[in-house]
Amino acid sequence: MDWVLAIPALPAAAFVVLAPMSRKWRNISARVAPLAMAVALLLSVFAFWQVTTFDPGSHTAAAPATSDALFAAGDAKAQPRPAEAVWRHRTVFANVGGAALGLSFALDPTAAVMLVIVTLVGLAVQVFSLEYMRSDDRRGWYFAVVSLFTAAMLALTLADNYLIFYMTWEVMGLCSYLLIGFWHQQEAPRKAAVKAFLTTRVGDVGFAIGLFLIWMHAGSFEFADVFASVPSWAPGVATAAALLLLVGAMGKSAQVPLHVWLPDAMAGPTPASALIHAATMVAAGVFLVARSMPIFEASGTALQVTLVVGATTALVGGLIGSVQHDIKKVLAYSTISQLGYMFMALGAAGYVAGMFHLMTHAFFKSLLFLGAGVIIHATHTQDMREMGGLRRLMPWTTATFTVGALALAGVFPFSGFFSKDEILAALWKDHQYVAFFLALAAAFVTAFYVSRLWFRVFTGHARTPHAHDGTWHMMAPMAVLSVLTVAVGWLAVSFSELLGHVGHWPEPLYYLPSTAAAMSGMALGWWVYGRSAIVLNTTALKDRAGYLYDMFAQKLYFDLTYDHLVVRRFVALANRLSRFDATAVDGAVNGAASAWSRSSDASDRFDATVVDGAVNGVASLVGRLGARLRAIQSGRIQSYQRYVVAALLVLVVLIVLKGA
Amino acid sequence: MTVGLGHFLVLAAALFCVGLYGALSKRSSVMVLMSLELMANAVNINLVALSRFVTPADMTGQVFAVFSMVVSAAEIGLGLALVLAIYRATRSAELVKLDRLRG
Repeated sequence: MDWVLAIPALPAAAFVVLAPMSRKWRNISARVAPLAMAVALLLSVFAFWQVTTFDPGSHTAAAPATSDALFAAGDAKAQPRPAEAVWRHRTVFANVGGAALGLSFALDPTAAVMLVIVTLVGLAVQVFSLEYMRSDDRRGWYFAVVSLFTAAMLALTLADNYLIFYMTWEVMGLCSYLLIGFWHQQEAPRKAAVKAFLTTRVGDVGFAIGLFLIWMHAGSFEFADVFASVPSWAPGVATAAALLLLVGAMGKSAQVPLHVWLPDAMAGPTPASALIHAATMVAAGVFLVARSMPIFEASGTALQVTLVVGATTALVGGLIGSVQHDIKKVLAYSTISQLGYMFMALGAAGYVAGMFHLMTHAFFKSLLFLGAGVIIHATHTQDMREMGGLRRLMPWTTATFTVGALALAGVFPFSGFFSKDEILAALWKDHQYVAFFLALAAAFVTAFYVSRLWFRVFTGHARTPHAHDGTWHMMAPMAVLSVLTVAVGWLAVSFSELLGHVGHWPEPLYYLPSTAAAMSGMALGWWVYGRSAIVLNTTALKDRAGYLYDMFAQKLYFDLTYDHLVVRRFVALANRLSRFDATAVDGAVNGAASAWSRSSDASDRFDATVVDGAVNGVASLVGRLGARLRAIQSGRIQSYQRYVVAALLVLVVLIVLKGA
Repeated sequence: MTVGLGHFLVLAAALFCVGLYGALSKRSSVMVLMSLELMANAVNINLVALSRFVTPADMTGQVFAVFSMVVSAAEIGLGLALVLAIYRATRSAELVKLDRLRG
C-alpha cells in the first residue's frame, strides 16, 4: 500500500515542478497544482475506503507494539487507542550517533480522515483560487506554495514519528510565512508574515525542547516506541514533555496567549486564509495534541492545562471577534475560538470529540472563508460597515455562507451542532462542569458574532449595488463544502466508531443548553444588528458598553502588552546592537583602516621630507657650493693674477713667519 | 754716499711693484704688456746688480740679462700680435671685457 505516500508526494511534486519555472511559465502551468490535488483527493478517498473496510482479524499488519496495553489497563478517562494502523512504512534515512532516524509513515483511521479533509479543502481552495487569483501576476508562485503547504500537512497527518511530524510542521511554518506575506509589496502583509513566523516560532521552540526531552527518555521518535515507554518515565517528565508539546501546539493553533499572529495573518490572500485556518496550519496543533494523547493522559496535569488554555481561548477569541469590523478578522477570531473548543475537548480526553470538531470546523470554516473571499472580490472591501444588503445581490453566496454560519453557531441540523454536542458531552462526562459552562458561554458569544456578521453583510441597505456572485470556479467549491457541512454532522456516530470509540447520538442534557445558547446569542445579534436593519455603525453599542467595548476592541491588550514587553525591548536591543555594530565593530574596522592610512601618510611624509630631503639637500648643497666656487672663475685674467699674487704673498708671509 | 747692492735691489723691487700694479690694474692690454716689460726689466736689474756685486769675476749675469732682453723683446712682439688679433675679433683691447672663459 505504498501508494499512500503518493498523496503527500503529488502536491509536493506540483511544487517541485512549479518552483523552478520562470514567472510566465509558472503562471501558465499553475493548473498542475489543482490537478495534483484532485488526484491526491481520489487516492485519499480510496485510502479512507481501505481503512473503513479493514478487518484487523484477517490482516497481520506488521504494527509494532502500540500502547494498547496502556489503555486496556487505563481508567474510564483513557480512550482506546484509535484503531490500529492499516499500513506502515519505515525507511531509515540517517544514523546519528547510533540512533536510527526513520522516515516513518502510518495510515490509521485518524490519518485517513485527515487526508480526506485536507485534500478536499485543499482542492476546494485551489479551484476557488483559480478564479480569485486569476489576475495576480504571481499566481503561479501562489499555487506552488499552496501545494507545498498542503503536501506538508498531508505528510504530517501520515507521520508516524515525531521527527517527520516536526519537519513537516516547520515546512508549514515556512509556507504560512510565504502565503501571509504573499503581497509583500505592501507593508501590512510583510509585518503580519514576520509576526506569524516569530510567534509560532516561540511555540516551536517549546516543541523542539519537548522532543529533546522525549528523546532523552524514550530514545526514539517513533510514536509507538515513545508511547510504549511513557509509563516508565519518572513522574513529572510526562507532564513536562506534554506541556512543552502543548506550547508548540498553542503556537501553531493560535491559542491564548500565542494567538496574536492569526488575526494579522488575514493580510494574505483570502483562499490561503481558508486553507491556513481550516485544514492545515492551525489544525496541526490540535493534531499534535491528539497524536500525543498518551503522553498527556500519563500526565493528567497537562490535560488540565490544555483544558484551561482551550476554555480561555474559546471565550477570548469569541469576545474579541464580536467587536471586529473586518469580515476576515471576525472569522479569524472565530477560528481562534473554535480551536479553543477543540483544545477543551482534548483537555477532557475527548479525542474523538476534538477530531470531529476539527473535521466539521475544517469544512464550515473553509466555506465561510471562501464566502468571505467572494464577498471581498465583489465589494472590494473587507470592512463590514461598507457592506450590506448582499442577500439580494448574491443569492448563492448568501445561501452557502448561511449554511456555514449556522454550522458555526451550532444550530441543528448542521455539522457544528453535532461536534459541539460531542465536546459538551466529553466535558460533562469528564466532570469539568466549569469548562462545560464556559463552553456554553463561548457558544453564546459565537452565535452572537455570527449573527452580527450575517445581518451586517447580508441585510440592510445595499451599499455596493454592482456586487454579484462569483463564477463557477468560486461557487462550485462552496457548494460542495456546504453540502458537506450539512452532511458530515450525521456521521458523528460512525466517526466515533471508526476511531475505535463508542458513538452516541446527541442527548438532551447537552443539546438543549447548547441550542438555547446558540438561539439566545443569535437573538441578541438580531436585536442589536438585524432588528432595524439600518444600524450601520456601532455608536450605540459603544456608548452602552464603553469600557468593555474598548477592552475587546483593543484585543484584550494582548498585542499592546507584547508590543510593550517584548517587541519594543527587542527592537531597542536590536537598535543597540546595531549601534554597537556601527560604532564598535565598524569603528574598529574603520579605525584600523584609518590608522593604516595615517601611518602610510606619515611614511609618505617621511619619504618626502627626510629621504627626499637628504637627497635634495645634498644636491642643493653641492649646487650652492658650486655657485660660490663658480664666482671665482670670472674669466678675467687679471683677477686670476690677483689670486696668484695674493697666494704668493700668503706663502711668503707664512715662510717668513715660520722662518722667524 | 756710495751706491751699493741694496740700492739696486730696492730699485728693482720698486720697479717690479710698479710693474705688478700696472699688470694687475690696467684696463688696456697694451698697458699691461708695458707693465710686464717693467717687471722683466726689474729682473734684469737684479741680474746685472747681483752679477756685479756678488760674482764680479764672471760675466754670467750680464750675459743672461742680454739674453733676457732679447727674449722679452720677442715676447712683447708676440704679445702685441695677440692684442691686435683680439682687437680685430672683438673691436676692443680692454682686458675686463675678455671674460668668455667665465665659469
